[in-house]
Amino acid sequence: MAQQEPQRTIERELTMSRAMVEAIGHEMRENDDVFYMGEDVADYGGIFDSTEGLLDEFGYDRIMDVPISETAYLGAAVGAAQSGMRPIAELMFVDFFGVAMDQIYNQMAKNTYMSGGSVNVPMVLTAAVGGTYNDAAQHSQTLYGTFAHLPGMKVVVPSTAYDAKGLMHNAIRDDDPVVYMFHKRLMGIGWMPAPTGPKTPVPEDDYTIPFGSADVKREGSDVTIVTLGLHVHRALEAAESLAEDGISAEVIDLRTLVPLDTETVVDSVRTTGSLVVVDEDYRSFGVTGEIVASVADEALDDLDAVERVALPDVPIPYARPMEDEVIPDTDDIETAVQELE
Amino acid sequence: MVVNTPRLKEMYEDMVTARYYEERLQEEYLEGKQPAFDISAGPIPGELHLAAGQEASGAGVCQHLRDDDTVTAPHRPHHIAIAKGVDLKPMTAEIFGRESGLGKGKGGHMHLFDPDVNFACSGIIAEGCPPAVGAGLAAKKRNADSVAVAFLGEGAIDQGAFLESLNLAAVQNLPVVFVIEDNDWAISMPKERITDVQVGSDRAGGFELPGVRVDQDDAVAIYDAAREAIGRARDRNGPTLIEVQVHRRMGHFMGDPQTYRSEADQEAAEERDSIERLAGDLRADGVADETLEEIRTAAHERVDEAIEWAKDQPEPDPADAHEDVFVNPPAGVTETEPDFELTGGDD
Amino acid sequence: MSDTTDRVAVTADGEWTADVDEEEGIVVNWFASEGASVSEGDTLCEIQVEKVSIDILAPTDGTIAEIARREDDEFTIGDTLAWIESG
Repeated sequence: MAQQEPQRTIERELTMSRAMVEAIGHEMRENDDVFYMGEDVADYGGIFDSTEGLLDEFGYDRIMDVPISETAYLGAAVGAAQSGMRPIAELMFVDFFGVAMDQIYNQMAKNTYMSGGSVNVPMVLTAAVGGTYNDAAQHSQTLYGTFAHLPGMKVVVPSTAYDAKGLMHNAIRDDDPVVYMFHKRLMGIGWMPAPTGPKTPVPEDDYTIPFGSADVKREGSDVTIVTLGLHVHRALEAAESLAEDGISAEVIDLRTLVPLDTETVVDSVRTTGSLVVVDEDYRSFGVTGEIVASVADEALDDLDAVERVALPDVPIPYARPMEDEVIPDTDDIETAVQELE
Repeated sequence: MVVNTPRLKEMYEDMVTARYYEERLQEEYLEGKQPAFDISAGPIPGELHLAAGQEASGAGVCQHLRDDDTVTAPHRPHHIAIAKGVDLKPMTAEIFGRESGLGKGKGGHMHLFDPDVNFACSGIIAEGCPPAVGAGLAAKKRNADSVAVAFLGEGAIDQGAFLESLNLAAVQNLPVVFVIEDNDWAISMPKERITDVQVGSDRAGGFELPGVRVDQDDAVAIYDAAREAIGRARDRNGPTLIEVQVHRRMGHFMGDPQTYRSEADQEAAEERDSIERLAGDLRADGVADETLEEIRTAAHERVDEAIEWAKDQPEPDPADAHEDVFVNPPAGVTETEPDFELTGGDD
Repeated sequence: MSDTTDRVAVTADGEWTADVDEEEGIVVNWFASEGASVSEGDTLCEIQVEKVSIDILAPTDGTIAEIARREDDEFTIGDTLAWIESG
């Protein structure tokens, strides 16, 4: 496919939630088989604004409220997808995956393979992820590692409105199951203000961003910072501060975990020699370990220094001083870079 | 209601095919596993759950189903697959782990998928219930009159996936029929030990949908109950829960010594042979013994042929293990990044 | 400041004021910056009064001449949030 011609300059900005909704609305208009199902997605518009405004246009049939019954409705999404529809099913909080994980990882993720490719599951599983607002251990997780680890599902983690829309178009059109993990703090919700960064210009036309394509959000030559989701913006802030100290940091936004773009990371580390991985998931057996290992696999000789910045292996605590302690912030990223020598 | 003779004969054919199929698979399975039972040895490695004795439920229910109706089945699926019209050769090849199996050898006997007749089975208890509800949801959204049937064992009625599915099917008024095959035993646990609800179809009342219990190993009675339930679903009058009495003639899985089961129980089970009962119904309808014999012989030949064919099929290339995780490329529907010029935004 | 005859105010006002008791609110998000061209009906910004979120639309085609209330700024109902140079 040829490169698209450069469009006129895009000025109109959207929050990440509005960008997602714009993509979903467009796909629903184009294709009657697309529908959205989840808890409180109809009148409420999604607890985190994931379907805001769609009920008016599409009605209760296609913006479907479901009972608090994740096993049933996520499994129903699998069944409907296997019948040829293209459901988008939402986990209100990714932390709720536990009650329905069988349908997710044993059906949604495996039916294509177990059937030798004769069956496919063209559904999107959206899930709100992330902490920083004191919702404690059962409502603040990202679980990036958990979903990326189990084979059979593509895993997408947008950090900006522009990425969110392009990845959502791809996710809905893809004939494979895609887990679309959106960070609550990035959505641009009034009662949970977003940091600077996720609100970006977004083209009005539809467009697709490929999976497995990490995005260099900031170029640099001294250190490679690899991250995703909320921490893309914290890393960019840290990079600004580091620049004042004469350290040029490259910030790579992974954008998808499955498939994973290690090539972009390796290319960067070949230049910088220093790798800092930042993740809002638990440290052990997750994203940070995976990136470091992937780079070591391919470019061990170029790798001089490594730092992993992630949540410690503890359930996320409620009280502010403790939550601030466990979820890495901009200073933690800066410190990690400075400690690289 | 009288079931016409051609339909009775079809059910009989499905049932004798299924019975003989399970008996032959038992032989094949045990080969290479004696005298010491090594589960991974022999032409059919792994677990094998055979449905000898349960044939009536598959045959009686599937008589009312079309190819575009969806069926999900549990880990004891062969009698249902046969009655639904799954092609015997690729199914058998899959059980033998061959490349030309339904799943190219990747699924095995508990994970048989045949999209041509919309049949799928799975290995987690009650797991097939939500996807069946989903197929019903798709039918409703498309204004189609297809239906979905989820089969499960009586040991599955306490699993959340089943209970949640009853609720979702009911509140959405979906064309789904749930069929509980009650063979009294959840592996080694008798019904009495694990639930107070001895009649599983009674659970329906708690979910505001009709529940029907068919007490005998009687294919015709099952046929009648299924006709009504499936008809109700096709007429868009919502879901039904049916429970049918069957019996398990073999162990839970091959290799199960069934020491938990008294001999008396096993013998009593064998006396309730639903195939013999249906044969009696056929004779009462004037069908000659020779005709029954012909049906049986043809069925046995079909099974033997399928098994011999399957055993002749090549094994998969080990490298194939890496294929078929996705149907689209990993990158999705595009490989290229769009090229927009974005100004402004938060910096 | 330029001649005001072509400038149209974007005000924190609308039918929604009937649904809220409070007089004050906050600007949550701007979707266009000064200098951007907009069409009538485009969503320009999102404001919040009490717990209600409201989209403020462009009253006319034109260019955003000045943003009077930035993100996180408070306003009183009726205040001008921005000026559009119409045309």
